[in-house]
Amino acid sequence: MNKILLNQKVIIYLSIETLLLLLATIAFFIAFKIVKNWDINSFTPNQFTLERENYLFITLVQMLLFFSIFDTIYFIYVIDKLHLFIPGAMCAAGVINANSFGVPLLLLKLFFIFLLLLWQNINILDLREKTFPYTKIKASFFIIIFLALIAIIYFDINYFFHLKTNLPVSCCSTLYGQLEGQNPLPFNLDTKLLLILFYLLFIVVFGALIGEVAFLILLATPLFLYIAYYSVTYFFGTYIYELPTHKCPFCMFQKEYYYIGYLIWGSLFLGTFFALIWAIDALLFKIWQKKLKLIAQISLFLFVIICSSYVAFYYFKNGVFL
Amino acid sequence: MKKLMPFLLTLLFLGAIAIIFIALAKKEAPITVVTNNFEGKPLPIKLNKTNDTECAMLIKTQTNAAEVIAPDRKTWFFDDPGCMVKWIQNKPFKKKAKLWVFTIDTKRWIDAKKAFYTTTYHSAMHYGFGAMEKNSSKTINFHTMVQRMLHNQTMANPKFRKKLLGTSNE
Repeated sequence: MNKILLNQKVIIYLSIETLLLLLATIAFFIAFKIVKNWDINSFTPNQFTLERENYLFITLVQMLLFFSIFDTIYFIYVIDKLHLFIPGAMCAAGVINANSFGVPLLLLKLFFIFLLLLWQNINILDLREKTFPYTKIKASFFIIIFLALIAIIYFDINYFFHLKTNLPVSCCSTLYGQLEGQNPLPFNLDTKLLLILFYLLFIVVFGALIGEVAFLILLATPLFLYIAYYSVTYFFGTYIYELPTHKCPFCMFQKEYYYIGYLIWGSLFLGTFFALIWAIDALLFKIWQKKLKLIAQISLFLFVIICSSYVAFYYFKNGVFL
Repeated sequence: MKKLMPFLLTLLFLGAIAIIFIALAKKEAPITVVTNNFEGKPLPIKLNKTNDTECAMLIKTQTNAAEVIAPDRKTWFFDDPGCMVKWIQNKPFKKKAKLWVFTIDTKRWIDAKKAFYTTTYHSAMHYGFGAMEKNSSKTINFHTMVQRMLHNQTMANPKFRKKLLGTSNE
């Protein structure tokens, strides 16, 4: 049997995943019934039962959202700790790239949280109205979310079953290093242009949130997320590690760096997800939610401040940039 | 100001897109492979702009560099004959490919399989193999060079290096 599957942390992780699947399956059946039979104008016993079940459905999906956020953070913690068992791995980067299922799994889990947040947002809008106008939409949307969860379980099983303790993997300096002279940055950018883009896009997204320019948020936020990933990995990360050659998005999750990765990546994803949801609300439902906007603004501001302060503190301490 | 804001922010966003397009058009990426080498002859290497496919280093000099031309006319570049040998071992076109080296004595491209190799040359990856057109008592043939490379009997191996330098003063 695969030794990794006997690891205590992996067992806990897979148990949580099973629990999530169980919750989601119950919610899926209720969602299916709602899509099929929901009629708010009807006064049949069947409709009253559905209305009661709708509350159960909402509770289940909210629990799913809560546990999914916890589960994703725990997943990163688990793969970070597994580097001790995989030869060659120095951090979660080596472990997640140990087979072809790891990276898609992590991306899928992040996308899953985004979908659940979007669902929760529709749910809030639905409960505000007396006629529950979005109940069928949110139930249909949950069916898509359930399919995404099935995909996550598929990748989970394949990822952990194909994780070998006897095969060496590459460490982060190999994975995120580069061919000499070759540029690892997207769009053939150099570091200077990458940083200009990073701050420029931050101003655009932040300004668009203040000015409530929804279409611009929808366009600029995915690009900001993409550029921010490269900026943290290839520029700000070197200041976190205080080493110009250390380029890794995962090492910052370790104790040596005060687990700052959780705050950096957490604030980035929270900020961008909430900004996108705010923009979707504004464009589709013509609703401008102030709380969502505020959370997005605070998260993005926090993200940029943390990243920038690492560079500033390094400069004040050493008098030079890396 | 509130009316101007969307306009200004859109301009900034367009500026960001413009930066991306400028960066895309700005400079060429290093060469790793060249296609359509129909003549099957070695290509001149753009120094400091061409990557060795095996060790990933930029090729800084043509002397002792190597090239592999596959049957499909793709050409790969190497800064050390040792890198070429290492790289081609598990390639399906290993036997059909044309191998070239730029010699250190006559300074020209010759068939790598017909070349002779010194064993203590300061090659780019410190394997020690220097390509020569002329045979001498201190050179080995291609086949021996390949065997030594595959068995780690090179200058990069400290034990073997000690053995080599004990018998050769090059």
